[in-house]
Amino acid sequence: MSTTTAASPTEAKLWGGGKSPFSVEYGKVMMWYFLMSDAFTFGAFLISYGTVRFSTNGWPDPNVVFKSFPFAPEGVNAPLVFVSVMTFILIVSSVTMVLAVHAGHNMDKKGVVRNMIWTIIGGIAFLSCQAWEWNHLFHEGAWWGRNPFINADGTASSSNFTNFFFTITGFHGFHVFSGVVINIIMLIMTLTNQFEKRGHYNMIEKAGLYWHFVDLVWVFVFTCFYLL
Amino acid sequence: MSHTNDTHAEHDGGAIAEIKKVTIILSVLTIVELILGFWMIGMESKALVLGIKGTIVILMMAKAFYIVAYFMHLKHEVKNLIMTIVVPLTLFVWFIIAFLADGNSFRNLRNTYNPYFKEQSTIKVEQPAHGGSHGGGHEAAGAAGAAHTDSAAHTTDSSAKNEDAAKHEDAKH
Amino acid sequence: MSNEATIIEDVHVKSVTSHDVHEHGDHGHHEHHETFLSKYVFSMDHKMIAKQFLITGMVWAVLGGLMSVLFRLQLGYPDASFPFLESLLGKWAKGGQITPEAYYALVTTHGTVLVFFVLTAGLSGTFANFLIPLQIGARDMASPFMNMLSYWFFFVASVVMLSSMFVETGPFSGGWTAYPPLSALGDASPGSKTGMDLWIIAMSLFIVSSLLGGLNYIATILNMRTKGMSMTRLPLTIWALFFTAVLGVLSFPVLLSGMILLIFDRNFGTSFYLSDIFVNGVGALPNEGGSAILYQHLFWFLGHPEVYIILLPAMGMVSEIMSVSSRKPIFGYMAMLGSLFAIAALAFLVWAHHMFVTGLNPFLGSVFVLLTLLIAVPSAIKVFNWLTTLWRGNIRFTPGMLFAIGFVSLFISGGLTGIWLGNAALDIHLHDTYFVIAHFHIVMGVASMFGMFAGMYHWFPKMYGRFMNNTLGYIHFWVTIAGAYLIFWPMHYEGLAGMPRRYFDFSIWESFKQFGELNKFITIVSMIVFAVQILFLMNFFYSIFKGRKVTSENPWEANTLEWTTPIRPGHGNWVGEIPEVHRWAYDYGKDGKDFIQQTTPVGADESTH
Repeated sequence: MSTTTAASPTEAKLWGGGKSPFSVEYGKVMMWYFLMSDAFTFGAFLISYGTVRFSTNGWPDPNVVFKSFPFAPEGVNAPLVFVSVMTFILIVSSVTMVLAVHAGHNMDKKGVVRNMIWTIIGGIAFLSCQAWEWNHLFHEGAWWGRNPFINADGTASSSNFTNFFFTITGFHGFHVFSGVVINIIMLIMTLTNQFEKRGHYNMIEKAGLYWHFVDLVWVFVFTCFYLL
Repeated sequence: MSHTNDTHAEHDGGAIAEIKKVTIILSVLTIVELILGFWMIGMESKALVLGIKGTIVILMMAKAFYIVAYFMHLKHEVKNLIMTIVVPLTLFVWFIIAFLADGNSFRNLRNTYNPYFKEQSTIKVEQPAHGGSHGGGHEAAGAAGAAHTDSAAHTTDSSAKNEDAAKHEDAKH
Repeated sequence: MSNEATIIEDVHVKSVTSHDVHEHGDHGHHEHHETFLSKYVFSMDHKMIAKQFLITGMVWAVLGGLMSVLFRLQLGYPDASFPFLESLLGKWAKGGQITPEAYYALVTTHGTVLVFFVLTAGLSGTFANFLIPLQIGARDMASPFMNMLSYWFFFVASVVMLSSMFVETGPFSGGWTAYPPLSALGDASPGSKTGMDLWIIAMSLFIVSSLLGGLNYIATILNMRTKGMSMTRLPLTIWALFFTAVLGVLSFPVLLSGMILLIFDRNFGTSFYLSDIFVNGVGALPNEGGSAILYQHLFWFLGHPEVYIILLPAMGMVSEIMSVSSRKPIFGYMAMLGSLFAIAALAFLVWAHHMFVTGLNPFLGSVFVLLTLLIAVPSAIKVFNWLTTLWRGNIRFTPGMLFAIGFVSLFISGGLTGIWLGNAALDIHLHDTYFVIAHFHIVMGVASMFGMFAGMYHWFPKMYGRFMNNTLGYIHFWVTIAGAYLIFWPMHYEGLAGMPRRYFDFSIWESFKQFGELNKFITIVSMIVFAVQILFLMNFFYSIFKGRKVTSENPWEANTLEWTTPIRPGHGNWVGEIPEVHRWAYDYGKDGKDFIQQTTPVGADESTH
């Protein structure tokens, strides 16, 4: 094989052993592959949702189901408004996370702390929104196994709309929650100068990957449940 | 990682500009998605709805690309790492196609061979009043429950089903 | 990428490497203050964790094997009564005859533990942990702590699965695939109650274990290779274990999703998998709109790659052992790699060939037929490469080598029937018959077991510093291979005659009465084979303490790195520096030399392979 490797010295340098072929530490490699694995978990959920939807004749109209927002008067008809707010909260928290990672690269502790706090606030805000929405739907009679919303074409619906909605957004919410916990731990570690001592903020980067992944999943969940 | 200390002057400005750019792109894509979503409400033409939904899916993929490539920094990683992430993800193509195709085929099968299933999707029902049915326990508000406004009255599941069947008998005549 | 960025990366790389080295330099010091608990129980040494996986896997193999003997007893002697069964199983064998419920529970648990606990955790858990750091030249796994967690999750999963056998209503009894509605409805059968809950918990813990392990294996193989160990110098074992880990990391989460949906169906009134169900004594269920086929899709999206998770490590070890024991380079190293990759990729694309009779769309089915039959190509490449490696080799018939050859034989025999079953039209006749049982036991079950035995005989000297007894090894091999064929070959005929699997008693069917004597024969052989496995275990445990001592570092005269470590390597594997690698792992019989170890520098006038 050395004939081929000699032909491309950079390739040989990367893969020749004694170091990472990706120029990253193993923790980041593991995080990436964990996220791949998690992508298959979410993928399986969303594809199951799609499969059941494809095998059913009717499906509730999301614009009828998700049409309220907090403090709105009874009977308000504002589809997509609240979920847009949630989406933007998550995107913004993702941006602050990037900024925190970036600050970490520059060994800028203050910047890391500031941006991590914003990210955590964003995460908590998103979770609160989700809690409100779940609570609202629950009071409309929706829960696992119970679906008060009829199909868009006026026929009786099965409970699978709510089943999938609560399961998938719940699983996503669980990821957001664990992301917030991870971020809080990262914040504490930053404040206690642990990363300064180590000389690098790689942990923030890995937490960041996880947080962006949560945002990424929301892009798909949001589209599948609210738009399609 | 000491490297950033040496170079962060110009590195810094570029990275921040990139983050800003991607933030704007993501926002714009989301807003376009939402506009399309609003436009779809109450739309009659099935073909147009399908077209819009296709567009939304494409926009979704674009958003996913920007998040992964720039926020998760994948675009700036070594090409090998990119490949080991992207290549396995192509498995989703067949994963999605096969699952959805079989779901669709299952619906066709049931519509063809299961008259009860077919009938269910033609009977119009009333939207039940909100707020009434939570805590009602076991009635499941599924096809059986939602078909009746008095679904909470059912105590056993079998009676729900029997009444349902009776109702369908009526509908036929 | 700009020049500057490249430089940055170099700095980055250097600091990463020195970080790793430093971290692992530390491990060497730990040995001085190791307690019993940190050395044997909560060990973070990959070699000890490998042994833990192996021993736990052995316990499960004995239990699972015993279960198969018990239900074979029922199939062979449906009318006889064995009083010892009642003392063993209590109410599950009233009057010395296994009840149908107990029979199904035995079949289900046999399948589950053999597939997941023995051939996944016991096989790839053992050998991935043991061989990866040793063969790539690393002091330990990338994350020894996660590695330890991986074992302990597996251990807890084992305990939960074991405890499910002692609950009032018995363990789950709806088949190892756990299809709904049997798995989703507590009212469906006794085993669907607590037994199923415990089954799901055990499997979820197992999935976590396999994920922790898999991520570690991948990161270790990619990041921790010693200097000079490029990917194409890796022994094929490592490549096989690498693809195994990738398969596990990508497919187990799909099963996890399926399990989560199943938990909701069982406990929270959802109907993901349920529709139009009438339970005797309960009445019609309110669950509407779900699809039981969805579960099958999700299950087999894992289930099919799982077959290769089981098979690939065996393939890798067989390749390595064959090359060492034939004193020849493995034939077609790159073709072996390519076929491993092709098998791993195709593993994800063919799952629905388990579902041809579910009402799967026939057109979709035909695509799955095509993709399934494609697997024959890389499989055949591998078989030909093994045979050509043997060809004109200077073969040393060690027990490990015999089992490796036995693996190839079984892989061919079982693989050929796979071509039958992969065709949707034939599968309609053969589905759920003993033909399928025969096929997958030969090609996946027994073959991988042979790979595992080969690995155990071959690497036993490295694990324990002693040899296993050869004579007992030969007896073990010949009885096992003859027994495997005698048990499973006749099942093909039973299956072709339409004899269905998972039936408690065939004696009441006129059409299957002709197989009564044959079933008795199979039962007797299976008991003999089981007894020989006990002999193997005695050999194994006896040899740990009393076996012939290994006197040289490299008893098999092999090239790979694990044979450059001390006879009983400590935590950290190498004393002093990790050796540098200069050549691939298969320089046997080159330039008149019997073998050249990977650490030997390439001579000035020497050609590389």
